[in-house]
Amino acid sequence: MQIIAKTSPYIRKATSTKRMMVDVLIALIPVIGFAIYKFQFDFILRALVASVLAVGLEALAFGLMKERDETWKDRFKKYTINNIVPPIITALIFVLTLPSKVDYYAVIIGITFAIIIGKMIFGGLGRNIFNPAGIGRVFVAVAMGGLMGSYVDNVSGATALTNTWSPSLLNDFSLVDLFIGNVPGSMGEISALAILIGAVYLVVRRSADFRVIVSGLLSFTLLMLVAGLGLKHEGMDLINFVLYQVLAGGLLFGLVFMATDPVTSPYTRPGRLIFGLIIGSLVAIIRLFGSFPEGMVFALVTANMFVALIDYKKWTTNVYTKKFIIGYSVAIVVIAIIVFLGTGGF
Amino acid sequence: MITKTRNIPDGKSELKKLPIVHHKEAEYLYFPITSARCPEGETCVIGGQFVKVGEQIGTRKASFFEQPIHATASGEIVGVEKHRDHAGKLIDCIILKNDQKYELHESVKDRSEKEIEKLTREDLVTITKDMGLVGLGGSGFPTYIKLNTKEKIETIVVNGVECEPYLVSDYELMMNNPHEIIKGLVYVMKAMKAPKGVIAIKEKYHEIKEVLNFALKEYDDFDIQVAEVGNYYPQGWELETVKSAIGVTIPQGELTAKYGVLIFNVSTLVSVYQAVKHRLPVLERFFTLSGEGIHNVNFRARIGTKISDLVKLAGGYINEEIPKVMILGGPMMGANTTSDDVIITHTITSMIVLNDKEYFEEPCIHCAACVYSCPVKIEPVQIMNALKSGDPEALQILQVNKCIECGLCSYVCPSKIHLTEYMRKSKKYLREKGN
Repeated sequence: MQIIAKTSPYIRKATSTKRMMVDVLIALIPVIGFAIYKFQFDFILRALVASVLAVGLEALAFGLMKERDETWKDRFKKYTINNIVPPIITALIFVLTLPSKVDYYAVIIGITFAIIIGKMIFGGLGRNIFNPAGIGRVFVAVAMGGLMGSYVDNVSGATALTNTWSPSLLNDFSLVDLFIGNVPGSMGEISALAILIGAVYLVVRRSADFRVIVSGLLSFTLLMLVAGLGLKHEGMDLINFVLYQVLAGGLLFGLVFMATDPVTSPYTRPGRLIFGLIIGSLVAIIRLFGSFPEGMVFALVTANMFVALIDYKKWTTNVYTKKFIIGYSVAIVVIAIIVFLGTGGF
Repeated sequence: MITKTRNIPDGKSELKKLPIVHHKEAEYLYFPITSARCPEGETCVIGGQFVKVGEQIGTRKASFFEQPIHATASGEIVGVEKHRDHAGKLIDCIILKNDQKYELHESVKDRSEKEIEKLTREDLVTITKDMGLVGLGGSGFPTYIKLNTKEKIETIVVNGVECEPYLVSDYELMMNNPHEIIKGLVYVMKAMKAPKGVIAIKEKYHEIKEVLNFALKEYDDFDIQVAEVGNYYPQGWELETVKSAIGVTIPQGELTAKYGVLIFNVSTLVSVYQAVKHRLPVLERFFTLSGEGIHNVNFRARIGTKISDLVKLAGGYINEEIPKVMILGGPMMGANTTSDDVIITHTITSMIVLNDKEYFEEPCIHCAACVYSCPVKIEPVQIMNALKSGDPEALQILQVNKCIECGLCSYVCPSKIHLTEYMRKSKKYLREKGN
């Protein structure tokens, strides 16, 4: 009988990275389903192109990033399902953040940038510092704004969040439409309902940390409430304004599917709350004082940059310390005051 | 999964149903002259000499304490042979040919209740020292050192949690010998002048609670309670037990005695009882063979029995063609052994034989399940990264030395990264760097 020498512990929990990845795919099903229903081949073709390209590029980079003298067979020894599912997720999320009439050229360039520069250059799965889909989306938005296709929908002549100061969309659509996704906008971001179903699945399966979603959503809502008070919209009540801001645009999609990516979030519970706060307040600030419809991905990528700082060895801890609670509350209050002043509250 | 994990499927319900085989017929008994804590030792018997139960046959020596070795059967000393210890090292063992008569040594005679009444703290220290009692929960820490404290002791906590999966030794002991546990506790309480005793058991073990409470009716004069603590792992870690049982939080690295608390394993208290009442050293202990790779049996065996003899008695291994992993102790913190040629000593509670499963290490995806689950609130993944980048300063700041090597980080990792091993390596790395 062969006896193997090992070190403790000798048993492992029945979880796997693979399962967590597949969970994200499963959670995306309602959003994808809605996108297919709404945009048909516009979405399907772009998603297919992006997915195939993402898997292929990852495999290519995986093979190239090895020692020179290794044979090609050896190079792919460690190539597993974890090198296939994550690029598909990246590709799907990337495509879902794009408008439906986006040029294929932009899709190809964006996903290439996402996989090569956003992920593989850092060393592949688990090493990237930016959310790959997020960084690809930012690249496309900044470098190829012209190829994005018109945000302006042929039907309504407006899109959610073209001008946040006066949410004119609500003149044409009701909040219910916004919730179900009966509005123009990016392919995956329009249906809050589909996103929320996915979010519930992810959180129940514990494949995503609810802290990021909750912290991001609450801080955003709070800031929008303050902004609503500051703006004093005529003909629009505060509740409608806040609900509109939460449901429209890429906020929910980004929080649920992009910000919860564990690779690019901090290691600790307080850290993840801070991470959510950064995203929530940046989205609010970009929407209120900037004019980019891509506010969510900009906020996400900026927050990704803070992750290393949050996890810095000198202050990282998984305990909710008094310092953290005070700091977190003070930060919220300060940002709220800034937003209030900025929107002309005084 | 991104969540705190505390519950481990423990497989105890099947083990509890197994009958206990009282194994007294060992032909030869073996007594290691050295142990992991005591690197040196000597014998005081010669080949051919006849010894009796309870007779001292040698001494193990460590830098600051000595530990007598006692014969657990009567018979003839036939020589010295090398066998493996807890850590897998080959060590010299005295061989005793058992004459199956179990004649007691002259020194073994009962103390009267009156004598016991008069025992002081110093007396108890002497008794436990002479009988070579050690912590039987697995630490092997000499009991007399624990007792030899100047602090005022308020509470004696008895650890009957046994949070590791697949282990039922303490469970069987509490079910079968509650009076010995309680008497041992009473002796310690009296000698230490501690007013309070608390027996900590798992919440889900209602049967133990009943047995203990029933037994406790005879000890009305003493303030002894049964405290139900959580069913989670590592509830049996002494600081966690103390916290859950009596609500006292003791910082890591401090002696419990400083906070007026002493904590003993249930089997240690039984050995205290035997030592005080009968002047006997530890003669027997519960020993479990478990795991999917072996016929499972609960034994009650003499100290000095060879495990391979018990394996034969149990019916041997199952599916010998599958590679096996052998563990002494629990599957989370137990020691690995590559041979069943091991002698049962005070601290060996079980041997678990599992079919080997190879885990392929995936890249870390920062899910932080290890961080969430860590009972000492350190961050295993950050420590691993600090070790990989060779940063002793970071290891220091991240407090890797707080790690109790409970194994939860490796257990929960979805990428099957062996984090606990990285923790050990980090500690070693820090020692080498002279921090």
